[in-house]
Amino acid sequence: MSTIMECKNVTYQYPLTDKPTLKNINIKIEKGKVYGVVGENGAGKTTFCAVLRGFAPSFYQGELQGEVELEGKNIVEYGGDISTRIGYVFQNPFTQISGVKDTVYEEVCYGLENFGVPVDEIDRRVREVMKLTNIESLAMQNPFEISGGQMQRVALASVIVLEPDVLVIDEPTSQLDPEGTESVFEVIKAMKEKHKTIVLVEHKIDLIAEYADEVIVFKDGEIVAHGPTEDILSDMSLLKKGVNLPQVAVLCSKLKEKGLPLEKIAVTDKEAVRVIEKALKERG
Amino acid sequence: MTQKKRSIKDDFTMLTILLIPIGVAVNVVGGNLASLLKLPMYLDTIGTIFTGIIAGPWVGAVTGLLTNIVTGITNPVNFWFIHVNVIVGLLTGFMARAGWFTDWKKGLLATVIQSVASTIASAPPVVYVFGGVTGSGTSLISAVMIAAGKSIWTSFLSVEIVWTVIDRIISWLISLGVMRVIPDRTLVKFPLGNLYLKNKK
Amino acid sequence: MDKSFLEQVQIHKKNKLDGLHSKTKMIVLILYVICTFILAVKVTRLQLPLYQIAWFGVLLVIFALSGQFAKCLRGMRAVFVVFAVIVIAQSLIQPGGEILFKLGPITIEEHGLQKACNLGFMVLDVAGIFVWFFQTTSHKEIAAALREAGVNDKIAYVFVSTLKMIDEMGKNSRTIMNAQRARGIETEGNLMVRAKAFVPSLIPLVLTAITGAEERVVTLEARGFSVNAQKTSVFKLEKSGAETLVLIVSLLITVALAAWRIFLA
Repeated sequence: MSTIMECKNVTYQYPLTDKPTLKNINIKIEKGKVYGVVGENGAGKTTFCAVLRGFAPSFYQGELQGEVELEGKNIVEYGGDISTRIGYVFQNPFTQISGVKDTVYEEVCYGLENFGVPVDEIDRRVREVMKLTNIESLAMQNPFEISGGQMQRVALASVIVLEPDVLVIDEPTSQLDPEGTESVFEVIKAMKEKHKTIVLVEHKIDLIAEYADEVIVFKDGEIVAHGPTEDILSDMSLLKKGVNLPQVAVLCSKLKEKGLPLEKIAVTDKEAVRVIEKALKERG
Repeated sequence: MTQKKRSIKDDFTMLTILLIPIGVAVNVVGGNLASLLKLPMYLDTIGTIFTGIIAGPWVGAVTGLLTNIVTGITNPVNFWFIHVNVIVGLLTGFMARAGWFTDWKKGLLATVIQSVASTIASAPPVVYVFGGVTGSGTSLISAVMIAAGKSIWTSFLSVEIVWTVIDRIISWLISLGVMRVIPDRTLVKFPLGNLYLKNKK
Repeated sequence: MDKSFLEQVQIHKKNKLDGLHSKTKMIVLILYVICTFILAVKVTRLQLPLYQIAWFGVLLVIFALSGQFAKCLRGMRAVFVVFAVIVIAQSLIQPGGEILFKLGPITIEEHGLQKACNLGFMVLDVAGIFVWFFQTTSHKEIAAALREAGVNDKIAYVFVSTLKMIDEMGKNSRTIMNAQRARGIETEGNLMVRAKAFVPSLIPLVLTAITGAEERVVTLEARGFSVNAQKTSVFKLEKSGAETLVLIVSLLITVALAAWRIFLA
């Protein structure tokens, strides 16, 4: 697979702070993969997202060293047009509405209007995305007057409709109930099926285990582990680094310690059931 | 702070552009709240003063301008006083840029200057268009003075200046209250935010 | 089948005057204000308050022809209050001329009543035409007209977002005030009590709005606010077809009034 984004020796420090929030970040983001970003609060996950999209330092100011590249070109060179390439969704659903549209339908149209896309095409794309994100029934409602979960889906729809190559999604479900969380992940799953490159920060580790191809672990502003999801989430040493591992992984590891001959440490419920069943059968 | 050449455009960042609607809404909601609580004050320039203090004269002036335009939609009388609100924003902003609002005494002086100047600017339309009596809270006093034979100008100005100064001092104090609770990392992103950081490096 | 979303967000108006393009309405507004001043200027010794009253009649006709008579009159409420204050105050405090009315200490004299009508109707006329403009033109149409006129995107954004922000903050302030009442903070009673309720009602609103503004910037940038492109709009501003006619009529009236004032009166 080809590299779509790359961070080269990136160190970033916010204004008014004493030490950098991100230290020496080196990573290649490959096209079409889903990256789960995990780590303790304050480990630098959100800042990493902001740096990938270029908001740090362009909007947050502060100091950036090193380079963030999109397809081999520094993202600074893309200027305002970077929004056509990298989509960005974040935690707070309430601040993710444009504040100038009367209806959800127009809200989702807003980005494409800014891009100067012809109206017929806007309408077609917006209707498609509203179907995908299941917000058609909200189309004529005031975007200020829908629930947080609905707003977050509208925010996702408004970004997905722009068809960016890379989607940076920062804790999209932290303020949502289980139902809202599920509906947001339905959308992420659909994006994954469309082979979009996704960088996803999420605290709910089971969801990372299920959806991510690779996991990046942050601690104190550094990447302390990075690799395929199963390898990372089955690494019990990460528990000491403040990473929340899936409960089934911890269970599998314990069972293995106790002598159950598991083929591997499973990280999703489904896999866990399979390997444990298999091991039990083998044991007779 | 190093002095560099400023252009008006530099004051209008994305963030200050989003500050303007907030400033206008604070003016409107503040004014409504004051009348809802039946306070004998207007308190309808808090947003203009606040934006002037943290984002400078031009952002303050636009906030003032836009306030009277949108309130003019429901009460067109405000169109005659657009310049007054613009002057509040401009003067507050220029004095803020000169650093007056970092100090209590100078801040008070700046507020008084701004109030007196803007009240004087409001006098011509009051006298020529409304004959000295606009129906605002203080106009009854002015009306009595006019009826008692005082000139329209003195009647309006003497009453209105005192009243406006008090009103704007309260508005300034409320603005300070807001600035106190805004975190430094947010404050620093506004054009004049550097002047008011709680923890200076 | 139901109407498409794209169709539902459009604004169609049947009334030719109500549905005028916003630009035409703006020109009508300007000409009407000019006429008000033409009628008010004292070029001769003639006293003209009666013309101002007649000119207000024209405004009422415009309201009615636009099919929005009731709505416009409702929009005039604040203006009527000011009008009443001006008329009452001026009739009472301006001395001079014949005494028209006397009851105890209250006297109304000729000059007072004249000035009252002149000032009062002038305010009513000028304010009234603005009311007509804003009652017959939605925010959406104004924003679209601004964009069509080539006004900077940022200005159009600030205008619309201001109107929405006022709505939002107004709603939130009522919520906070109710919450305060529920928590036992007095919002009625003597002046100090009421004054104390003001600050806690306002400051949290401003704080939320300001911290939210930072994220709103990120949102707007993510939606391509700064993309270098000729923006498009799913909302299309329509014309009613009467634009040219209305322009000609308004211009003729203005010219005729000016000519009459200059040469005849």
